[in-house]
Amino acid sequence: MVENKVVAMLLAGGQGSRLKALTRKIAKPAVPFGGKYRIIDFALSNATNSRISDIGILTQYKPFQLNTHIGIGQAWDYDRNVGGLRVLPPFTSEDGGRWYTGTANAIFENIDYLDELNPQYVLILSGDHIYKMDYRQLLKEHQEKGADVTISVIEVPWEEAPRFGIINTDQDNKIVEFDEKPKNPKNNMASMGIYMFNWVELRKYLIKDSKNPNSEHDFGKNVLPDMLNDGKKMYSWNFKGYWKDVGTIRSYWEANMDLIDPDNELNMYDKDWRIYTRNRNLPPHYLSRSSKVRNSLINEGCTVKGEVRNSVFFSDIYIEKGAKINNSVVLSDSIVEAGAEVNNAIILEGVTVKKGDKIGEEGDGNIYVVTKKGFTIE
Amino acid sequence: MENCLGIITMGSMDKQESNFGPLCKKRPIYMLPFGGRYRLIDFTISNMVNHGISTVAVYTGDKIRSTMDHLGNGKPWDLNRRFNGLFLYPPLHNSSSRKGEIAELYSTLDFFNNAKDENVLLIHPNYLGSVNLKEAYAEFIEKDSDMTLIYKKKVDPWGQYVNCDKLIMDKNNKFKNIGINLGTEQEFNMYIGMILLKKKVLLEIVKKAIEDGESTYLKEAIIAYKHEYKINTYEFKGHIEVINDLKNFYDANLNLLSKEISQELFFSGGPVFTKTKDEPSTFYSEDSQVYNSLVANGCIIEGTVENCIVFRGVKIGKNAIVKNSILMQKSVVHDNAIVVNTIMDKYSSIGEGLRITGNSSMPYVVEKSKELRKD
Repeated sequence: MVENKVVAMLLAGGQGSRLKALTRKIAKPAVPFGGKYRIIDFALSNATNSRISDIGILTQYKPFQLNTHIGIGQAWDYDRNVGGLRVLPPFTSEDGGRWYTGTANAIFENIDYLDELNPQYVLILSGDHIYKMDYRQLLKEHQEKGADVTISVIEVPWEEAPRFGIINTDQDNKIVEFDEKPKNPKNNMASMGIYMFNWVELRKYLIKDSKNPNSEHDFGKNVLPDMLNDGKKMYSWNFKGYWKDVGTIRSYWEANMDLIDPDNELNMYDKDWRIYTRNRNLPPHYLSRSSKVRNSLINEGCTVKGEVRNSVFFSDIYIEKGAKINNSVVLSDSIVEAGAEVNNAIILEGVTVKKGDKIGEEGDGNIYVVTKKGFTIE
Repeated sequence: MENCLGIITMGSMDKQESNFGPLCKKRPIYMLPFGGRYRLIDFTISNMVNHGISTVAVYTGDKIRSTMDHLGNGKPWDLNRRFNGLFLYPPLHNSSSRKGEIAELYSTLDFFNNAKDENVLLIHPNYLGSVNLKEAYAEFIEKDSDMTLIYKKKVDPWGQYVNCDKLIMDKNNKFKNIGINLGTEQEFNMYIGMILLKKKVLLEIVKKAIEDGESTYLKEAIIAYKHEYKINTYEFKGHIEVINDLKNFYDANLNLLSKEISQELFFSGGPVFTKTKDEPSTFYSEDSQVYNSLVANGCIIEGTVENCIVFRGVKIGKNAIVKNSILMQKSVVHDNAIVVNTIMDKYSSIGEGLRITGNSSMPYVVEKSKELRKD
């Protein structure tokens, strides 16, 4: 008998419109990150490493690549006889079909799934963030406090606090107020969009929220404040460590560059907390006699004959002799031809940078997004 | 390749294990790490699977621990099937049973009888090549052969392939016999340990060999009963590596630094599958200098690397110099160490400031998990 059963619900339907060309064909959680991963791999691997046995993945926006990537969850050990992974897209029923209209609504629409599993706790996750977290610690805190909801929070720089949902607590971390994107924040503890609920309570409030015509059916805006009004026991839990919401082109580029920073907090080489992903079965990469690779991450299948500095490479990339890449993120299957120079760029999948092309200057402060049709400046 | 079983046997490879020094102390030859992230047998199994063979049986030999760990249920090769899939046959140990390839095949008659497939592709996994089996198989079927032996024409001025099996053929390229190359000819037809047979014929030969008690290996049985069967040959024209001693193994690894060879082995016959390790990308530091090397994932490289094959999870420290070497999984070269012409087995390490130099004609081998230190 498994006690303290937790079911994770991973919200993976986000469009991530501010990532522009990166999310033209795929949902934000499917965006490649860090040389061989996709953003969703972090939340999925955290769940696996936290020994969560059931996980539902809520998809909506352009799900094809995401579905292919996840498959039956084999890469994360979610292909199980008992429990495992379910992809939960929107569906039709007697009263017609509906899209998921908000984060809370997405969970509400899948009440049947959760009822069947009948968990004690439901853990709400988002597939948009880069971080490593042991959800068992969150659960422990939740149980010790006897809470109805525990929200994971992180300290953000004061000047960035107005972009986040800020959570005000008393000295015992009991939540007293939600401050969604405040102009004058009272503190700098931001919600990470990771919630541990008692399923019995969450269920009640999801049904209540679904009947409210004025609700946006969002956890942060509607369900959580409603529970607070009713005096439910809500606590925050301070997470310490690397956490990044790669919401924009610039933050995407920066988060990739963090990985080659010597002071990087996100240790990818920790074998006790592996990040898992689907494997492409490519051979090792090859650096030729003429290559010069400095302070960079290189993945399988690449052939480098040119110069690469401060860059993150995905798989199966070909850099010809005499080409120069600086401060760039290069996605899979791209080619940079001889004599081309690329600075501060994100080169998308399958792009060829032609002979003699020059993109960006070192230290010009711009980020260039290179697509098959040319490049744009951020 | 429908209607065909894939069979992997060691032939007489078990007798060669002593040629590999400490590398084969605890592993069979076919489990030797190769090409940065593979084992030799990965190429054989992938080649079978990429040709549509869905039943693969491996006769593992005695040292089965690494085999079990690596092959498991065959998932990396999509051989974890409800029907067919991967079969592992460790040797049976009872006092009455004979040893050797023939006895092992004979002990699995049920497997052959239960399989619906009528043909068999049998490979010794110490030959490495991306052989287009589709063509060989089509020819085998078309000519209604009892068996087809696959060979490669080898020019061998240096006597590198002495003691390899050779096919003796008459003027019309008809098969006559299997002999051993003693280096007396400029060019010879090297038998590359791949054979297509009718299942019926294989079982007949195996039973006869058991009854007559003459042959231990399939090769010997084929020689003994060659007149009773219709034997054809098929010439493979691509690149082949023969891994039968330490030097060959070392050279075959470093040959992958040639683009033509790595392209052919890694890509021409479809992907090479292996057990994945979920390592992150490899990090090259500001001071790293890497030339002409094949590097797998999960490494942290801070020193100089030239003409090397670097496996998954290797660490090379600051100011360390590594040349013409093979660094297997999770091996470590500490700061300021120098490593030349060396094979480092898994989990071994070279201490700070230490110099290790092998001979270019015979590499130095650092045993598995061994830590060499200066004092």
